[in-house]
Amino acid sequence: MNRNLKTILTGAAILFAGTALRAQNVSDLIISEVVAVPDSSVALVDDFGQVNGWIEVFNKSQGTVNFGGCFVTDDIDNLKKNSIPKGDLRTKLGPRQSTVLYASGDSRQGTFYLDFKIEKGKTIYLVSNDGRTIIDSIEVPENLTDGLSNAKFAHDNKEMIFDDIHEAVPTPFSMNGKHGSETKSQIMEREDPHGYTLSITSVAVVFFALIILYIIYGISGEIFKGTFKRKKKGNVDEETAAAIAMALEMEDNGESYAAIAAALELYLNDTVHDSESFVITIQDNPASEWRNKALTFRKTPRK
Amino acid sequence: MHQIIDSLNQFWQFTGFANCQLANLIMIAIGIIFITMAIVKEWEPLLLVPIGFGMIIGNIPMFPGLNVSIYEDGSVLNILYQGVRQGWYPPLIFLGIGAMTDFSALISQPRLMLIGAAAQMGIFGAYLLALVLGFAPNEAGAIGIIGGADGPTAIFLSSKLAPDLMGAIAVSAYSYMALVPVIQRPIMLALTSKKERLIKMPKPREVSQKEKIIFPIVGFIMTAFIVPSGLPLLGMLFFGNLLKESGVTRRLAETARGPLVDVVTTLIGLTVGASTQADKFLTGNSLKIFALGLLSFIIATTCGVLFVKIWNIFLKEGHKINPLIGNAGVSAVPDSARVSEVVGRESDPKNHLLMNAMAPNVAGVIGSAVAAGILLSFLG
Repeated sequence: MNRNLKTILTGAAILFAGTALRAQNVSDLIISEVVAVPDSSVALVDDFGQVNGWIEVFNKSQGTVNFGGCFVTDDIDNLKKNSIPKGDLRTKLGPRQSTVLYASGDSRQGTFYLDFKIEKGKTIYLVSNDGRTIIDSIEVPENLTDGLSNAKFAHDNKEMIFDDIHEAVPTPFSMNGKHGSETKSQIMEREDPHGYTLSITSVAVVFFALIILYIIYGISGEIFKGTFKRKKKGNVDEETAAAIAMALEMEDNGESYAAIAAALELYLNDTVHDSESFVITIQDNPASEWRNKALTFRKTPRK
Repeated sequence: MHQIIDSLNQFWQFTGFANCQLANLIMIAIGIIFITMAIVKEWEPLLLVPIGFGMIIGNIPMFPGLNVSIYEDGSVLNILYQGVRQGWYPPLIFLGIGAMTDFSALISQPRLMLIGAAAQMGIFGAYLLALVLGFAPNEAGAIGIIGGADGPTAIFLSSKLAPDLMGAIAVSAYSYMALVPVIQRPIMLALTSKKERLIKMPKPREVSQKEKIIFPIVGFIMTAFIVPSGLPLLGMLFFGNLLKESGVTRRLAETARGPLVDVVTTLIGLTVGASTQADKFLTGNSLKIFALGLLSFIIATTCGVLFVKIWNIFLKEGHKINPLIGNAGVSAVPDSARVSEVVGRESDPKNHLLMNAMAPNVAGVIGSAVAAGILLSFLG
């Protein structure tokens, strides 16, 4: 096969593979919360009226992720223990959205039901649709208080790094922590009620952005104007010009003056030379005025 | 016979006459006023005609459930409105603006860019006032952007920060843009002395094609690195300008500044107008928004002119800037630059400020897009 064609096909294959991975980036999913023994009075009740342990899956990315085809297990030796059915539109998780999987022990109850019950002391794994790659895991501590969850919290809402895991009041279907339920506007209302900080910062940033552009275009403008251009060898500096002037002064006949004046006249009021492009070329140029046939037309002689 | 009367009665219930309320008539009247202003006074006719007619469309009283209203999912107007609601139209307009704007004046006098930055204080002045009036920070940010005097930017930001207020914000922004000569002139005259108005500025130098090509590339990289959230607006603005200046994409540039921008302007005007349904528009908040919009224009103009006056204190004779170009820092292109020219010629008929005023004017476009990006990153 032609080498170039091979390169193109390989490139295309890499591009498509990359696109496919990006399209369903399940690595952005985490198990954000797990409840082993729910509190019967305030527990989450499923569609069958049952109260079971559950896990919460959260999409920390800014794009929609479909986790259909992924696996959930509590057995590291059996990563394909429970598969999430493909083809259910509800398995698409929007940006920063979460859903709950009920550990009822019977996955026949629906897409969001697991084949096992959550036991304390075990670890729950979320496995990619290849059945090998563990996307995320969460421990169910032995001493987890009944009615509470083991939940992951993000210190940084932008980076979405969930490095804080501790026991908490369950919050199914919503992001853990106070930042999860607070909009940027609410945070700003709390931290900058009068708006002075935002205003001063913003004005400073606008000025900064335009000052940067001013500096760049100021410098580039000087470059284009030729301020920083080195003088070419042979250019006449002021001292040399003064010396030439003095030498001319000493001449009596004025021929040099006449020659300089003629040169200047030709240069400034050039009516002799063609100034089309300032480039001497040996290539044939049909567009040139010199070749314009219209200029050479003559009236047809009367017969 | 009885059946026919019943049918006619039922049909009557569907008509606009049966469902008409005073608020609908008021909005239709406002729409007609907009159209009249555009046709008779020629105030921003390309925008006020579609907006005015859109207001009439949006306020035809009707029986709900016919799936024709702009707020009913799946209706034709609703689908067109998504371009506003999701913020698709404003970047496309910026593409056209980039393809039609000559940045030579700015490139030749980059120092005048700072006036464009100073005039953005109108945005943040209005933001502070909106907070005082009890608006939430996201709403205050959306209202403040009216001070940027840039319709597409105002629509883009309000669709992200406060969609419910977008109709009032867009109408306010475009109305005051149309009234730029009326609002700015007295402020400029009040803040400048006769001597200042006579300051002559050098003619901008000629800018080479290379500089014009470098400008959008460097400008985009720098501004987008500083404010990535302004990417949709800044990216399209500079991309459009590169199409214009590259010299090899003439057809694309012509499409961007011609048919494309015409189509999008028509759609944005019509749908923004139609979104001003009486029940959503005729509220106390809309009145506050109109008042704040006016104040933001006044603050922006004042800050631009005062900034030049203060700057002049530090400039040597011969390098001083005519403060009459301070108003042009708001990005109502080219109206505010024209105001500088007109007011300048009133003092000295030989003093042409238009080309000098174009520099802060186009800098204002960049500045307001940067300001929108900042507000979006803080409040979005």
